[in-house]
Amino acid sequence: MKKIYPFILLIFTGLLMSCGDDFLEPLPESAVSSESYFSNDDEIESGVIGMYDAIQGINSNNLTDNFSIQREYYLTEMRSDNTRTKSSEGEAAQFESYTVTASNGIVSNYYISFYEIIYRANLVLSSLDAASPEKAASFEAEAKFVRAYAYFNLVRLYGDIPLIDRLIGPLEREISYTRVATSEVYNLIVSDLQTAVSGLDNTYKNRASRAAAQTLLAKVYLTQGTNYAEAQTLLESVIGSGFSLEPNFKDVFYTENNNEVIFAIGYTSDLTSDSQNISAEWLNSVGRTSGVNYVTADAREALDNLGGSRTPYSYRQDAAQPTQYQVAKYIPNGDTNLGIAPTASNPELAGNDWIILRFADVLLMHVEAILAGGQQTSATAAINSFQRVRNRAGLTTPVTSITKEDLLAERRVELAFENHRFFDLVRFGAAQQVLSAFSDANGYSFNATDLLLPIPQREINLSNGLMSQNPGY
Amino acid sequence: MNVKTITTAFIMFLCQFALIAQENYMVRGTVTAASDNSPVPGVNVLVFGTTSGVVTDFDGNYEISVSDDSQLVFSYVGFATQTLSVDGRKEINVALADDAQNLDEVVVVGYGTRKKSHLTGAVSSVVNEDLDQLPVSRVDDALVGQISGVNVQATQGEAGSAPTIRIRGTGSLTGSSDPLIVVDGLVVDNDFLGSLDMSEVASFDVLKDAASAAIYGSRGGNGVILITTKQGKEGKTVFSYQGYTGFKEARQSDSYYFSVAKTAAAELAATGSLSPRTQYIQQIGIDQDWQDIIFDGGMIENHSLSARGGNENTKYSISLGYLHDEGVLLTDDYKRYNLRLKLDSDVSDKFKIGGNLAPSYTNTRRFDGSTHDILRQPPWLPVYHDANTIQYVDRSVYPDVQIGDYAVQRHFDNYDLFGDGTLIDISDTSNTNPAAKVIERDRNDYKFKLNGNFYGEYELYDNLKLRSTLSGDYQSTKRDRWQGVLSSRNGAADASYEVSNETQIHIASETFLTYNKNFGEHEFDALAGISFEKWDYSGESSLGTGYTSDLIRTLTAATVLTNIDSYKFAERFQSYFARINYAYADKYLASVSYRRDGSSVFGSDNKYGDFPAVSVGWDIAQEDFLKESNTLSSLKFRFSYGFTGNKDLDTGSDIIDLYPSLPLLGPSSATIDGSLQSAYIALNIANPDLQWERSREYNPGLDFGILNNRITGSVDYYKRTSDQLLLFNPVSSTTGFRNALVNIGEVVNSGVEFELRTRNVSTPNFQWSTTILASMNDNELTDFADSNGQIQITDDKRAAEWINLQGQPISSFYGWVVDEEIALENLQQPYFPIGGEAQDVYVKDLNGDGLIDDDDKTILGSPYPDLVWSISNDFKIGNVDISFLFQGSHGAEVRNMGDQYIFNHFNSGQDFNVQTTPNQGFIKEKIFTNSIVQDASYVALRNVNIGYNFPKTLTSKIGLTGMRVYAAGQNLMYLTADDYTGFNPESIDDTSPTTYGYQRGGSPIFRTISFGINADF
Repeated sequence: MKKIYPFILLIFTGLLMSCGDDFLEPLPESAVSSESYFSNDDEIESGVIGMYDAIQGINSNNLTDNFSIQREYYLTEMRSDNTRTKSSEGEAAQFESYTVTASNGIVSNYYISFYEIIYRANLVLSSLDAASPEKAASFEAEAKFVRAYAYFNLVRLYGDIPLIDRLIGPLEREISYTRVATSEVYNLIVSDLQTAVSGLDNTYKNRASRAAAQTLLAKVYLTQGTNYAEAQTLLESVIGSGFSLEPNFKDVFYTENNNEVIFAIGYTSDLTSDSQNISAEWLNSVGRTSGVNYVTADAREALDNLGGSRTPYSYRQDAAQPTQYQVAKYIPNGDTNLGIAPTASNPELAGNDWIILRFADVLLMHVEAILAGGQQTSATAAINSFQRVRNRAGLTTPVTSITKEDLLAERRVELAFENHRFFDLVRFGAAQQVLSAFSDANGYSFNATDLLLPIPQREINLSNGLMSQNPGY
Repeated sequence: MNVKTITTAFIMFLCQFALIAQENYMVRGTVTAASDNSPVPGVNVLVFGTTSGVVTDFDGNYEISVSDDSQLVFSYVGFATQTLSVDGRKEINVALADDAQNLDEVVVVGYGTRKKSHLTGAVSSVVNEDLDQLPVSRVDDALVGQISGVNVQATQGEAGSAPTIRIRGTGSLTGSSDPLIVVDGLVVDNDFLGSLDMSEVASFDVLKDAASAAIYGSRGGNGVILITTKQGKEGKTVFSYQGYTGFKEARQSDSYYFSVAKTAAAELAATGSLSPRTQYIQQIGIDQDWQDIIFDGGMIENHSLSARGGNENTKYSISLGYLHDEGVLLTDDYKRYNLRLKLDSDVSDKFKIGGNLAPSYTNTRRFDGSTHDILRQPPWLPVYHDANTIQYVDRSVYPDVQIGDYAVQRHFDNYDLFGDGTLIDISDTSNTNPAAKVIERDRNDYKFKLNGNFYGEYELYDNLKLRSTLSGDYQSTKRDRWQGVLSSRNGAADASYEVSNETQIHIASETFLTYNKNFGEHEFDALAGISFEKWDYSGESSLGTGYTSDLIRTLTAATVLTNIDSYKFAERFQSYFARINYAYADKYLASVSYRRDGSSVFGSDNKYGDFPAVSVGWDIAQEDFLKESNTLSSLKFRFSYGFTGNKDLDTGSDIIDLYPSLPLLGPSSATIDGSLQSAYIALNIANPDLQWERSREYNPGLDFGILNNRITGSVDYYKRTSDQLLLFNPVSSTTGFRNALVNIGEVVNSGVEFELRTRNVSTPNFQWSTTILASMNDNELTDFADSNGQIQITDDKRAAEWINLQGQPISSFYGWVVDEEIALENLQQPYFPIGGEAQDVYVKDLNGDGLIDDDDKTILGSPYPDLVWSISNDFKIGNVDISFLFQGSHGAEVRNMGDQYIFNHFNSGQDFNVQTTPNQGFIKEKIFTNSIVQDASYVALRNVNIGYNFPKTLTSKIGLTGMRVYAAGQNLMYLTADDYTGFNPESIDDTSPTTYGYQRGGSPIFRTISFGINADF
């Protein structure tokens, strides 16, 4: 009998040993391996949705999470004459005072976020072989729209940037750190958007659509300043696509996917993974910051003078600190005076969609395309589009001619705090003059090199000399 | 696998040595005490492995029948047991050393034991003689200053929180640098130390050098701490009770004490008048130190009860423990309940079985706040409104505030002090009362652990034993966090309840053969085995929000559930290991070991890593020419060289840590036109070639014993080179990711360790012994590939910099060097807020180019200590004993971000006046300078213990076999460097090794005074 003891002992070991050859290769249960994924339309579609997930950004306060467009206003509105921080604290205040440093966390977060969007678009593009012939073209068009959208923002903010049009690995240093001339980046943007225009329809507002691609391409042409006629054609095609201005300005921001919206990023309230904390941060001590994107006196003056009925839904007094003024678009926790209901039970988990392209922008760009770089226009088509936007604001006095300054001013009050102002100033060639004056009046230190953000120090450091910095940083 | 053939061959090989003829004859000799050469009567002399034995007579003489290969065992109470080989000698005289200086004590070395005198690696041991009298809540807290080369640092001061343990420095960058913890043979995670009762522990053995740790292969790279729990002893059941209770009190910082009165006096002296703001603050009439409120002190109490005993064949141990530590912070609290059953039984001569079962439960209430945030509050702010303070409330904004409510700074704004309509603001934050943030939150960790093993051992053939162990540990952790309505400035809008459950099951199966046998003066000890381990992790968590009151604190009462998460992971591990220890005549010593580890973490080509080691020793004192020396008892030279590894990753994502070789896709979603749609998103850049981090270390050492081992000690030098480091290396974000796991870089830790133990006086009525330990470690980043010189920050808002530069320690503080402070008259409001300091400072133009830029930045210090030492003294005078231990650390610096907050550096009131301040181009924020880089050195009187052992004549009258009462103190003295402003230089934020040395308030060092009683019956 005793001889059996050792065998009893060995049984213990046998319990686990019997697991066999794959003992050391347990499969992950909380994730899948992409080696075998993206093999059919449904799976590729989940990658397509992943692109919008990247634009949506992560609702978090941790700089290692990609905030994506959720902090875009720092780089655009707060760098224009529209907004500033409430208490000038921390690196957030670098934007308003034009003292942005290359190590600014928000500058690098945006850069990282947008290359992640590009990566996810390239991932979809690399999987097209597995798609059915019917879907392949629309997946391609959609991914190229998203990629162009991301590059368009990056090239306007950072200037010459690395141009990645395929999946790359961490060892491909050359392509990762070589800054490609702006014009070359625009070539890819234009060609991507042309593919998008031809491959998309107008099914979605929170996904790429033909109208969104047309509007974006028109904006690209206006920015390049070389193809006004084509821009005008594209915009007129959008104008004829059934979009309209919301009769009530407030509804633009508080009725999701209304008829004015051409392309918006969708959010769902009270869900950490799909909500935004864009607008909570604009309030006093409601978000995680002490208050950012507060309205400048300069912007208030413009809105008071030109806003018409838009003004009360553009900014409001801060109830907690009456000398301060807040943005009144996308308020997450409601405002009874303005008849706005809360959009989420927790304002940091707001569900307001973030509008990227809307019809009023199309109409004003239409005017801009007709202006075609000139100083003034009296063209009927331009007057009509301009008047449509003003009429909605209750400014019904007919205009007979539109100067470039009129158009810029109108864009400011119509699209205030929607991340257009900075790009508009640059596109209109007015940034230098307007921002210098604004800076001088407020004791800030603007100069011409502030029109481009620094390439994040992180990338410069990693490049080990391959990557150059923008002038002035 | 043809184990059988190999085994048979092995045995046959060994049997050749056994063919020596056996013949019995008599051996005689005298046994004396080594200390004074006096004969010792009554010593048991036993032939090893037999029942034949004799006792020495009155003159210490004995005579016993032996054979040539017999071993004699000499044992007597109070002396160290000695085992000697007969080797054909006819006369064997023995000098027995006192027990305390037992050099032949056995040391646990992993999968077995070795005589201390035969050790060839750097192994340090601590026997739990009075460690369980230290009033600390965790066993690792008790190891401070006990072992050279082991630095235990109280990085977090919360009750029950884990200290940081580093054996011979930090070697990993992404991976963990925590040592491996093995309890009774089972590898456990470090958290296990929080649920172990010190009175269950028999000893700690620490494998410091790579050659010793290599038997744990890939997991030995940061050293190994082996914990052995107490076992039952043959004889009558002994019941023991151990208990103590003590008071804990925080060490406060004088620099962080501000007073309204002091500031007002300074203002008056400087300006000749008081600002309206100061006058208003004085009128409120509150002047308190917030340290008094959040460092509220506490009690600690511990009770352990055990029963141990057994007979010839079966031994058992049962112990129960309870500990309650109230911590020194407001709300923190730690309770622990333990049970351990241990049974060992000889079923037959050849067959042994045993087991161990230890359930434990801990409940930790956390301090759910941050000290830096609380201590930046002004001294004029009360916790609650009373009849006096309520009259200052700004009723236009806060109409509902009542007496008894939390006072908030903003309540005191807009006050018309002079009745002239001029409203004064004194608030500098909109936050709620800092005490409310802590008191109104209830955050707990509840951990249940079940640790157990079962083993069987069968002697196959003449000391060739097969041992098989099945062990496991189960951990269930529930965490919850209630953030009450009053805990934030937004009230009910922010009330939330967060709850998570985590389960971990770890099962290990080990089977190994051991063989130990002496052939004349050759001693062999061999081991070969195989082990399998698996871990399964799972968990769920969610967050409830939308509460309107504090009444029902469940997820059910929430209106919105978010952050819902669940996960399942697995990890597998498979190893082969072997070791041969050899000693010849106690003189020439050698050890060779080899381990091959396979882990599921790595890709298919790199699953396995090999970790060989070799070590040798030569005890010159055993050579004939020194053997008779009375001065030199032992002098052993050692040299070891070995490879260990590290597989721990910490990328911040468990799934990437466990499956880094696979390109992973995880679930996500996006909102599309009003509906949520599922997305799959890439989680990582896969690295199928990822492999073990590898350390190689050589360690020459010397052990010595002088004057019959009255003075013993050791000196070790080591150099550990860790390369192919597992690094979550930053990559260009154009890849779509921020980081990728790679094997790059090299870190070298080298240093010297010194241990000296002396018995200064040794008489029956007075004994005094001293132990001195010192370790010096030098950490150097020798290769960092593309990341060399990378500058890192920990906080984007207060972006102080660290640099990781080759030729320097892994991380160094980086920035500008302070030149001088900005003059008071150039500050806009130099006396507001109270305790405030200027944010900015003049810095030095190091390169002399007339402007301050990045080129003027330099290395400002290192967060790693150069020297850590301890000195302990034990006195025994009759029945009274006194011991105390001083411990110190020198050379480390800390970036004390606490100053930033507590001195309100970034408060706009302290800005310089742009109109009047000269040389503004030379001004930088203090945070970017060495202004807050402070010397973290300290010297502490760590432990004091004064005890009285009642004489047996007395205790027997009340039915006790022994009783001891004692008073103990911890940190009764704690000195820090002059420029250190905080309350605990050891409190370092648990950030990445590349940004080490960041302190943001943290929690205080505390002193404890306790009283205890031990009774055996």
